Amino acid sequence: MRHPKRLGRTSVSGRKVQLATAAMLLVATTLVACGDGQDDDAKVSAPKAPATIPELTKDPLTLSFIWFDWPPAHALEDFANAEYKKERPNATIKVNTVPNANWHDAMFTQFAARKTDFDIAILDSQHIGEAVTNGNILDLTDFVKKNIDVKAYDPYLLAAYGQFPQAETGKRDENASLYGLPLLGDTWTMIYRKDLIGDKPPQTWDEMISVAAKCQANNPGVSGLAFHQANGSDAAAVTYNTVNGVYGGNLWDPKSRKIDGVLNDTAGHEAMDVLVNKMKPLTAKGSGNWFIDEVNASVAQGKSCIAFNWIAASGGLLDPKQSTLGTTREQILDKLGFATLPSQKTNLVPLGGMGMHVSAYSPTAKQAEALNFMQWFERADVQKKWAAAGGVPSRTDALESPEFLNAGPFNQVYTDSVPRMRDMWNVPEYARLVDIENTNVNAALNGAKKPKEALDDIAKEQQGVLDSSNRKGGGGL
Amino acid sequence: MSDPAPATTDRPGQVASATPPAPGRSRRRLSDRGLAVVFISPALLLLLGMSVFPLLWALYLSFTDYSATRGGPARFVGFGNYTAILTSAQVHQRALTTLIYVVGAVTLQTVLGFTIAYLISRRTHGRGLLTTLFLVPMMLSPVVVGLFWRFMLDAQFGVINSMLGSLGLGQVEWLTRQRTALVSLIMVDTWQWTPFIMLIALAGLTAVPRYLYEAASIDRASEWFRFRTITLPLVWPLLLIAVLFRAIEAFRLFDLVYILTSGGPGVSTETLSFHVYKVAFLGFNTGTASAYGILMVLVVIVLTQLYLRYLNKLKEG
Repeated sequence: MRHPKRLGRTSVSGRKVQLATAAMLLVATTLVACGDGQDDDAKVSAPKAPATIPELTKDPLTLSFIWFDWPPAHALEDFANAEYKKERPNATIKVNTVPNANWHDAMFTQFAARKTDFDIAILDSQHIGEAVTNGNILDLTDFVKKNIDVKAYDPYLLAAYGQFPQAETGKRDENASLYGLPLLGDTWTMIYRKDLIGDKPPQTWDEMISVAAKCQANNPGVSGLAFHQANGSDAAAVTYNTVNGVYGGNLWDPKSRKIDGVLNDTAGHEAMDVLVNKMKPLTAKGSGNWFIDEVNASVAQGKSCIAFNWIAASGGLLDPKQSTLGTTREQILDKLGFATLPSQKTNLVPLGGMGMHVSAYSPTAKQAEALNFMQWFERADVQKKWAAAGGVPSRTDALESPEFLNAGPFNQVYTDSVPRMRDMWNVPEYARLVDIENTNVNAALNGAKKPKEALDDIAKEQQGVLDSSNRKGGGGL
Repeated sequence: MSDPAPATTDRPGQVASATPPAPGRSRRRLSDRGLAVVFISPALLLLLGMSVFPLLWALYLSFTDYSATRGGPARFVGFGNYTAILTSAQVHQRALTTLIYVVGAVTLQTVLGFTIAYLISRRTHGRGLLTTLFLVPMMLSPVVVGLFWRFMLDAQFGVINSMLGSLGLGQVEWLTRQRTALVSLIMVDTWQWTPFIMLIALAGLTAVPRYLYEAASIDRASEWFRFRTITLPLVWPLLLIAVLFRAIEAFRLFDLVYILTSGGPGVSTETLSFHVYKVAFLGFNTGTASAYGILMVLVVIVLTQLYLRYLNKLKEG
């Protein structure tokens, strides 16, 4: 009797052949993938954009942006489709949005793949270093020289939204390369309840704290202060940096790349003490994870006396549908006031806002369209229209124009704040530096760490990140 | 033996040839083994491309300082990434957080899941409906679960604190205090995944032969005695498998942390998976993140092997 041959079994030599084939297949695939990695060697700096805009296509074209989901993103799409289409009827503007917490990852994972579904990246000013070092965005220096009137801007705005290495002094370096142009200016505004603390806003930081404490004591159920404390994005970090600046501290010494001993000097510790021991007790219980939306909700529901938020995110506060402070915009404005931040030892305010940057991986025709859009957007008449549409322009003439100043009660705050701005580091290690600061400030604000310990940890860990470029293995821990 | 009947054709009077086709004209047929290879190869290629290759690629990267965004060649750093991870105080802290989370969540889910299954198994009416209702949380996306629990646990506007307030209890800062944040994560995970344990336990409970209980009843065995000597020993191996699945899932928890606490306050609820995400995507330290991932896989494999050996011993016993 013949036994049927058993399926699924082969001879020892047959199996060896199969194993060897599989191994060879994997090795070959790995080598192909390794080879791809080595191609990257050539691209270590930003490629240059042409000085003059190349001929534009007449075919239908969609120019895609990437930003995070907030009102200015929608305003930009509406504005650009209404106005830019008048000049380029074949172009459609699409502003793709992602949640704020995913913004950095959404852009840089596409940059890592060397393929982007956006043509213009709207980068936070601090992201520039990472994008430039990796060669992800175009060098616009020659383009700007030929097409943009740089004298029309406050030099620091041009520097902050486009220059790398950053202008640490707050002044633009005429010889530095530019990688972006301003899209949306922004800073913090102090939002205060006129009906609770009076029409005149506090002028100093100490006065602001005592006014908030008095308001809280006199109005049960209303907290004295509301500000960003979350450990996501740059929330808690911007809050500490603001107080640090106001109390005369510094984030680092850029020349020697020294953080430890600079950030946690006497002024730094005083700022942390003010934030944790004087300001935090005046906030609502459980506000330790608040960011933009939560602060706005607290103001709109009449639950805080004084709040701090980004100007570009404050428009919704005047919407009667979202507010319990009044049934009309005028009624709300009778109760809410907007002012520049109080000063103390210095009058520094945080620089917010973002610039436009052309993706190095966008097709040539779209890069040309992107350059054309940027040139159009920075025109004086367009900047004024952008201001009237709810945007915050960067050209000085637009900032001082009635179109901008009359468009919102907080716009004068921005114009007055421009000479007082200070940004964070825009080094390639930014994402890690801000995460260290965010988590430690958040820990201090929520009682998980003592203020002194938190600040010393920030300084030590951030210094470790800056010093670890030559470490063999373990980078990123 | 009779001759085979001649095959007929359409044309009467003509007899079809019964001889087999000449070997030269026949198509080459696939053997059974060849056919099996043809059918398996698409799945095999997919497995190689989507699982085996990425794993080997990650293994290769784990010995380098490669960064996905910085580009450039991947420099070999030997075991540098592994040593740095294993000696990092930050990693130790995340490992402890993960351990507390896994033990807390899985224990709670096992106790609750088994209890619910036991109670359901004793019902004769409405068992199907009850089981279906209990399974609903498990069918929801963890991101959705995280988002609505985030609203419910909000200290100012959340429904949980509102209920506590109506009972005369004070406000609890569920997500922003070191102690309560981890407890909140365990609580939400338990809410979502207790049904999984319940489902497996229920399958085990319904498979226990009735005659064992009948025999115990004849012997006048107490309820507790029946549970201890019949129910538990027979369901235990299945329950342990459910615990294994849940422990592996809990070990790689990311989504709930991301939505509910973002790892905070500070880093007190950062799990190992959340930390790997930060290493991989904040600084784009791909080499370190790969080593971190490989180490996590190794930990799971080793622990699973030990656990399976225990299960086998239990089975043999």
